[in-house]
Amino acid sequence: MPDPASISCEDLSYAYPGEAEPALSGVGFEVRAGEYVGVVGPNGGGKSTLLRLLNGLLAAGSGTVRIAGHDPTTEPFEVRQRVGMLFQNPENGLVAPFVEDDVAFGLENLGVPRGEMRARVRGAIEAVGLAGYERREPHTLSGGEKQRVALAGLLALEPEILLLDEPTSMLDAAGRREVLDRLRGLRREKTILHVTHHLEELLDADRILVMNGGELVADVYPAQLISDPDLLARNYLVLPPLLRLASGLGLEAKKPRTPEDLAREIQHRSPRRTEAR
Amino acid sequence: MRLELRHIRHVYSPGTPFQVEALRGVSLSVGPGEVLGIIGGTGSGKSTLVQHMNLLLEPAGGKVLVDAVDATTLKKSELRRRVGLVFQFPEAALFAPTVWEDVAFAPRRLGLEEAEIGDRVRESLALVGADHLKDRSPFALSGGEQRRVAIAGVLAMGPEVLVLDEPTSGLDPASRQDLLRLIRTLRDTGTSVVLVSHDTDEIAEVADRICILEKGEVRAIGSPSEVFYANPDFAPATVSTVAALNETGWDIGHPVRFRETLRALAGLMEG
Ligand SMILES: Nc1ncnc2c1ncn2[C@@H]1O[C@H](COP(=O)(O)OP(=O)(O)O)[C@@H](O)[C@H]1O
Ligand SMILES: Nc1ncnc2c1ncn2[C@@H]1O[C@H](COP(=O)(O)OP(=O)(O)O)[C@@H](O)[C@H]1O
Ligand SMILES: [Mg+2]
Ligand SMILES: [Mg+2]
Repeated sequence: MPDPASISCEDLSYAYPGEAEPALSGVGFEVRAGEYVGVVGPNGGGKSTLLRLLNGLLAAGSGTVRIAGHDPTTEPFEVRQRVGMLFQNPENGLVAPFVEDDVAFGLENLGVPRGEMRARVRGAIEAVGLAGYERREPHTLSGGEKQRVALAGLLALEPEILLLDEPTSMLDAAGRREVLDRLRGLRREKTILHVTHHLEELLDADRILVMNGGELVADVYPAQLISDPDLLARNYLVLPPLLRLASGLGLEAKKPRTPEDLAREIQHRSPRRTEAR
Repeated sequence: MRLELRHIRHVYSPGTPFQVEALRGVSLSVGPGEVLGIIGGTGSGKSTLVQHMNLLLEPAGGKVLVDAVDATTLKKSELRRRVGLVFQFPEAALFAPTVWEDVAFAPRRLGLEEAEIGDRVRESLALVGADHLKDRSPFALSGGEQRRVAIAGVLAMGPEVLVLDEPTSGLDPASRQDLLRLIRTLRDTGTSVVLVSHDTDEIAEVADRICILEKGEVRAIGSPSEVFYANPDFAPATVSTVAALNETGWDIGHPVRFRETLRALAGLMEG
């Protein structure tokens, strides 16, 4: 038998206690080991609820969830060993008195030996650009700094499956690039589900899931999504500015990745080409 | 209102090993009907700075002036009403059983009459497009809805200056655009707006002036066009694209906003 998928859901539904409307209904998809899958859609679409069901924080109302073949509610230990989750609001994750303890927290729970733990904590803190912050108290950090601490805690754990709920929402451009590079470095080695409102972060993803009104409305390649104006509009998605410029100029929307790419493309197409220089 | 900050300094945990000099002499101002955009990297001091605008934090040095009057001479409650501050993640402070009650809280504390309170709550909820949520519990709303309700709570005080600290982080693109529209509406009715963001593409679309903070100091302040073309590492995609073209000898000016940039670039394609 082939290995079970990293993540699989079938006809998954959930309603919060006391709410008439389900937050999630009939969601089904599979993510194979080593895939990098984006999740997008409007606020209230059900993205965070889906992640909470995957790591067992919430129990499915109906339908099934399997993480490497295990049910998060009946086999929580199997699932917790494999899954690391980054919450949408970093305030919710930080628990320890100092930054370094916070990053080490998950490792202590897993019983990792001290020496190895120290090395992993140091590596993770450096990876998110927080060297020098080890003895700072988390509550004195700015929002973006807290988000980096939370991410370092997750990286130190080295889980097989990373569930990231808007991991860059509070980061500046440089911080965002660093985190995305780091995630790129984990590709193939880890299974990643990455929720974001920034489509430019997902242009290289293996697939993108679009959630709206609690339903999975599309499971597509990035190129399909960015070249489908109807699918974008129906789900209140907006192309990143560079791609909007390109498509406004009648150039192929999926091409330019950097402003320099776009500038070259414009020069190439412009009838003024010969005048300049 | 004209709000002015002069040489503001701030030090966290002074005299301890964890001392942080978060602001090192920052001066700037915002006038009626103007949107001042403040950008800067994580930890550059943006949140610290905006909390000085209504003296929620006291400066270690420098002055805050409200229409040329030293803000320390005003009653705290008056200052906080006139300078409305929306924190980063304001939804964390929602507390009342219904959205209506939450938004009514501040005007009620101002001692207004019930009819006036009702008007203000209705108006603020309408401005943020949340009138339909008035009877809901703020805790059972999505993140984007909660953000709007929290902003309505500050608008209900009728501030002359509205200060927003990263109001769009975590919002979907449609909600972001709604919020930018709201900022333009307020500006057009004479409110002064301070908008903090790390998203330069977004701030480029609404700001009349831009201030870049770096390590607690003002690195640049001026018109969006001046500031972005002189500081490429903070430039929005529009400016970076035009700058790359200008560099190769194509002079197409210094557009910033999406529409004017698209128009300038489209001109090139037509020859
Ligand atoms: N704790 C909660 N209690 C009740 N309803 C909730 C709660 N959290 C989310 N919801 C509702 O569930 C739906 C999905 O929300 P969520 O999963 O947070 O969406 P997203 O992450 O895509 O913004 C929304 O309608 C939201 O109002
Ligand atoms: N309560 C606090 N105690 C100590 N240091 C703080 C506190 N709040 C913020 N800082 C530090 O002050 C600097 C500026 O923070 P902040 O104003 O939150 O930056 P920004 O909003 O630009 O991300 C950062 O180095 C941050 O770690
Ligand atoms: Mg969410
Ligand atoms: Mg901040």
